[in-house]
Amino acid sequence: MTLLGMHFAPRFHATFFALLIFLLIGSSAGMAQDGEKLFRANCASCHKLDKKLIGPALSGVTERWESRENLVAWIKNSQEYLETSGDAYATALFEEYNGSIMPAQAVNDEDIAAILGYIENPPIAAAAPVVVGDPTTTSNDPDYSIYWLAGFIVLALILIRVLFSLSKSLKRMNAEVEGTEVKITSYFGSISKWMGNNKRASLGISIVLLVFVLVQTWYGAKGIGVYQGYAPEQPIKFSHKIHAGDNGINCVYCHHSAEKGKNAGIPSVNVCMNCHKGIEEGSLYGTEEIGKIYEAAGYNPETAAYDKPQMPIKWVRIHNLPDFAYFNHSQHVIVGEQECQTCHGEVESYDYPMKQYAELTMGWCINCHRETEVKTASNDYYSKLHQQLKEKYKDDPERKKFTVEDIGGLECAKCHY
Amino acid sequence: MANEKTYWNSLEQLNGDQAFLETAEKEFKDPIPVEEFVGKQEFDSNTTNRRDFLKFVGFSLGAATLAACETPVIKSIPYVMKPEEVYPGVANWYASSYMDGSEFASILVKTREGRPVFIKGNRDSNITKGGISARGVSSVLSLYDQARYQAPQKKEGGETTWAELDAEVMMKLKEVAASGKTIALATNTIASPSTEAAIKTFQDAFMGERSVNEYDENGEVVGATTITASSVERYTIDPISYSGMREANAKNFGKRVLPNYDFSKAKVIVSVGADFLSTWLNANSYSNQYTSRRDPDGAWMNRHFQFETNMSVTGSNADVRAAIKPSEYGKALANLHNALAKMAGTSGKSFEIDNDNNAAEKIQQAAKELWAAKGASIVVCGSNDPNHQMIANEINNLLGNYGSTIDLNKSLNLSQGNDYNLSQLTNGINQDRVGAVILYGVNPVYNAPAASGMTEALSKVGLKVAIAERPDESTVLCDYVAPDVNFLEAWNDYEVVTGEYSLAQPVIKKLFPAGTRQAQSTLLRWAGAENTDYYTFLTSNWEKNIFTKQSKESFFKAFWNTSLHNGMVSLASSSEVADGTTFTSGASDALASISKEKSDGWELQLYTKTSIGDGRAANNPHLQEMPDPISRISWDNYITMNPADMLDQGYETRTAQETPAHLAKVLAGGQEVTLPVVAAPGQKRNTIGIALGYGRTEAGKAGNGIGQNAYSMSTFKSGNVGYGVTGVSVEKTGETYAIASIQTHHTMMGRKIVNETNVTTYKNVDRSDKQNGWNPIPVLKNAFGEETPMGEVDLWSAQPGIARHHLWGMSIDLNACTGCGACVTSCHINNNVPVVGKDEIRRTRSMFWLRIDRYYTSDADPNKNDGEKNYSEMENPSAYPDAVFQPVMCQHCNHAPCETVCPVAATTHSDEGFNQMAYNRCVGTRYCANNCPYKVRRFNWFNYNADPMFTDVNPSQDDLGRMVLNPDVVVRSRGVMEKCSLCIQDVQAGKLQAKKEGRPVKDGEIQTACSAACANGAIVFGDLNDETEVAKRATHGRSYALLEEVGTRPNVSYLTKVRNRSGEEV
Repeated sequence: MTLLGMHFAPRFHATFFALLIFLLIGSSAGMAQDGEKLFRANCASCHKLDKKLIGPALSGVTERWESRENLVAWIKNSQEYLETSGDAYATALFEEYNGSIMPAQAVNDEDIAAILGYIENPPIAAAAPVVVGDPTTTSNDPDYSIYWLAGFIVLALILIRVLFSLSKSLKRMNAEVEGTEVKITSYFGSISKWMGNNKRASLGISIVLLVFVLVQTWYGAKGIGVYQGYAPEQPIKFSHKIHAGDNGINCVYCHHSAEKGKNAGIPSVNVCMNCHKGIEEGSLYGTEEIGKIYEAAGYNPETAAYDKPQMPIKWVRIHNLPDFAYFNHSQHVIVGEQECQTCHGEVESYDYPMKQYAELTMGWCINCHRETEVKTASNDYYSKLHQQLKEKYKDDPERKKFTVEDIGGLECAKCHY
Repeated sequence: MANEKTYWNSLEQLNGDQAFLETAEKEFKDPIPVEEFVGKQEFDSNTTNRRDFLKFVGFSLGAATLAACETPVIKSIPYVMKPEEVYPGVANWYASSYMDGSEFASILVKTREGRPVFIKGNRDSNITKGGISARGVSSVLSLYDQARYQAPQKKEGGETTWAELDAEVMMKLKEVAASGKTIALATNTIASPSTEAAIKTFQDAFMGERSVNEYDENGEVVGATTITASSVERYTIDPISYSGMREANAKNFGKRVLPNYDFSKAKVIVSVGADFLSTWLNANSYSNQYTSRRDPDGAWMNRHFQFETNMSVTGSNADVRAAIKPSEYGKALANLHNALAKMAGTSGKSFEIDNDNNAAEKIQQAAKELWAAKGASIVVCGSNDPNHQMIANEINNLLGNYGSTIDLNKSLNLSQGNDYNLSQLTNGINQDRVGAVILYGVNPVYNAPAASGMTEALSKVGLKVAIAERPDESTVLCDYVAPDVNFLEAWNDYEVVTGEYSLAQPVIKKLFPAGTRQAQSTLLRWAGAENTDYYTFLTSNWEKNIFTKQSKESFFKAFWNTSLHNGMVSLASSSEVADGTTFTSGASDALASISKEKSDGWELQLYTKTSIGDGRAANNPHLQEMPDPISRISWDNYITMNPADMLDQGYETRTAQETPAHLAKVLAGGQEVTLPVVAAPGQKRNTIGIALGYGRTEAGKAGNGIGQNAYSMSTFKSGNVGYGVTGVSVEKTGETYAIASIQTHHTMMGRKIVNETNVTTYKNVDRSDKQNGWNPIPVLKNAFGEETPMGEVDLWSAQPGIARHHLWGMSIDLNACTGCGACVTSCHINNNVPVVGKDEIRRTRSMFWLRIDRYYTSDADPNKNDGEKNYSEMENPSAYPDAVFQPVMCQHCNHAPCETVCPVAATTHSDEGFNQMAYNRCVGTRYCANNCPYKVRRFNWFNYNADPMFTDVNPSQDDLGRMVLNPDVVVRSRGVMEKCSLCIQDVQAGKLQAKKEGRPVKDGEIQTACSAACANGAIVFGDLNDETEVAKRATHGRSYALLEEVGTRPNVSYLTKVRNRSGEEV
């Protein structure tokens, strides 16, 4: 049981990266005779064309090897090749990379030819990354309609005031012209006079106004402390859409403590580095945002070494439960078998910035507890309780399922202690 | 009822004091202290009129609304490189060891996000078997103490750097060594093989030739010889000395050791002044060994005689207790020896002792029973006089206890201090032979007897260096202080019992990384060693010396990892042949010395409390707040005196807030202290007791100025420190002093709360017997005289949880509860219960979620002839009563009176049997507390974690102290009611673990803080609806519910206390 002393980076073996990226990107590319696709699918996790990554830069690889056959044999099974051929160049290569071997690649000769073709003649890279949509505008701008309404009301009031004074001036002018005395009443006087004359109408209007004010206050008060839709700026413009959506990375790959404890956890930088050691450029912001990860990890992409000071990333927390409410992710994810999307929405479709999908109010929690069925069948913990409840409700035809409420999920001390 | 005892819980109650009874009837004595909330002066000078008030209200409402609309920005900062084993929100447990120099416990430390928050005993330990004291449990708070040294210190110039300190100290030590003088290294008991090795390295670095004086019998220098030895001389000094016991064993057995006792094998135990269940030697082990034999249904039940001056925790648990004077310890032992010698057919010597509570007969009885249990008994003595210990050894030898209950081959390595070292050191300094003193873990300025002259001597030393974790009375006088780390930040090993190796590992990174350095590394550095890293030193020492002692593991790495994981490794070979220790009798000398002991006037017995111990953790507010199990007083030490003596002298015997105690001046051994006098029934007449460990002046803000230092009054005779002092003068000063007593405001007014019986009745009489039933089931009689058991009377329908899935409950065995109080601090630390300080406790506003009530017993007839209660008559036997303990927490009633009166439904019942408390719903009406028959609901009067009134006492007011708070439990705010939740956070966590693994909850898997702290098995928690230990206990004949007749149907039940008595004793 060691307490401290984590040396993370050295543990990541080349094979692990290869396997990981291979799984993430999927294997459909193998079918197409497209060198670039094949390269990305099979090689890109460890190799770049122009730069050393985990393996050497591949530009000019065909020239460096003695013969193409040797190279193909090496690609197919480098370990076997090393042992049988006695190729001096291969041995030197093996030693240069500290004895880590390139895993045998499941590619046939045609694939290799396509890949080598791509390596020899790479297409000219696009000058700038294609920007998909405008990343700076988000759908989470505050709702301005209330300000518009207020503006209109103010404008209308000014208009009414102007019209009134206009009408008053006209009356006065008229009186001066006609020489008659006109009794000019104040606004309030005229309103109260009007109200005196139209008692029913004014009562109706008052009730409507009162109800409007009360309803608005009620909803306004209910909204205090509710931050649904909260989408603060983050230190890194991280897009869940690219990671979870486009690349299909499982939520718990990064938020792995959601299965262990109460916090889902924001991934530590070393988790980012699992992939981003290889992926140096993003599709939206190029190297700018990914560079921030390197800065945090103290990673130098030039030397591929962690030789700089580390700087933790200060994310802005989006989902904030009050301290007096206890919530446990593992309870919901493992035991309740809830999808992340139930509470967090279709995160795989959210671009930057991430937002709070649910209300996170007590009523919202309670509603779900009322409706959600407990997964009793597959869990021995519940077997005794399930039997008892079945016995209790055996004559109740309405009773189709046992919800969280039935096992005490609405009790205060389930969440407050 | 066979049991005609009446229980009362304070003398006020006993005496039926009218003023007291009136206040005791009220849950909240004082009117609500509005002026304290807003400040008295502001309240008086208040000129706000109604209009202003409305303006303020309007403005605050608007401001609050606006403020609420602002989204708070909370930063979330993940690790850069996350350690493999740390998950946010998931606790990690590490096995380690707690050793403060006098007390040892194998522990498990709970850490959250890399910081320790909770400590419990390790039940897999071979030594302590999970036993831990309140001091061990609360030691986790001492880690986060601001008072700790945070940088190396230099007398001139204050803080310094390690480089400077090391350079100067090393240079000066070399100068001292070169000058031919010695360097005195004064340490506490170490009991650590690797630390000893480090000290050896340090000593070896100063090896050289020096001249040593030769003395004649009169101490005159007659010449000098040159020897080759280290200039560093070791002095081992313990604050509480067992030196006399080691000396007696040296005389009797030829080796200066302490034996290893096994109380679980002893059928008869006689203790003369040894508080072996609480503070004496390795009490953490003895306590659970003892209670394992207190089950009246077990194969046999031990029988325990206690002869002592003060009522101790051990004495209150005894079957037979006699109060004797400190000057009679030796005589009582001699009389016991004489009685046994007669049975063995030899003769001994007998002495006269004061017999006001039948001590003589009790000694004869003890002798008879000891003789009958030859080879399966233990006689222990708490005196530090070697002559007393030699008589105790003589008795144990006579009874053949060596080799059966007492093991001399596996010795106990605690308390290695040698009192002769005190005089050797002072003589060395005074004769100018000592050029430098290094104090490591010792505080002689505070705790050496005044008669030893240590303080004056130390001031003469040229170079004084301290290696210390925190400031104390000695380190502040030192020229240099090299800060040590806390034990939770350190690597270490211990061999507390020969062959049983324990490990301690760091569970947090150093809190003050630049300013602190582990003591062993400091010594290695000063020794000029190449490797000063103690971890590598420790592992290489283990590889060389400990790994080689075993053959189970063939690779060191595997051996080390297993040992570290378990926190210990047992290498004691059972096949070890007894080394033929022979007993050399020293009885005649000892008896000759005892015959010279004379009783003289008032006698003083100095003792240690289970909470404060020797006083080194005095700055831990949890320990200061914890009431003494017997006196129930916190935040003070005081003079304990028998109430009969107090009435004779006109002292106030009550401890309620309206009746402050009288101060008295005590003069003993030329030293004087002035302390309040407190009634202590059971105290020997004409004796007083004063607790050690108080009166600290350099402990820190919580510990300074609490009580008076009584160490200086200890005697220093013929080389040994004595804790019994004769010829003491006690003089009433006429002044009064307010003390904080927790008990007088939780009265249970004469009702049968603690059910107690003796073993004869228990075995022979039916529990519900009409005449003599010892645990009758309360019944409700209707108008026709029909009786229904209270358990079947229902006003409400049953709670749904009663017959369903879980029904969490607790059973408390009053036979296994010794009253030690470890559960109390454990509860506090696990549940973020605030420390409130002396003044609040005095005002009955203590926050104890779990308290241990102590009741004195008396055999007086509770009824007068006319049917009235007879409180005044019961005064007579109160001089020497029994005492019983009862832990009381929220009883989690199924028909809870508190739930029905809450106007906002803040306290409700759960389907699993919990009486729940939703703090955020609570508006503080306190109806619930008024309606609770058990008085377990505590009201939060202040923001203890922010209010400046509590800055000195409440640890959670600074950033460091807050780190110990349990992140799974809220910190309650002002104005809410709080109470025991049965550690629902741990129950929920335990259930979740079972759910995740898809299995039912296992019995014993879920522990509350109190049950985890109780290795005696007094507190057991579990599911009453399952086949569990707690369910078995709840249906046992001894089981009863507190105030069962009220019909609250609690989920907490108690097991009747059964003392091992026939019912016909004197």
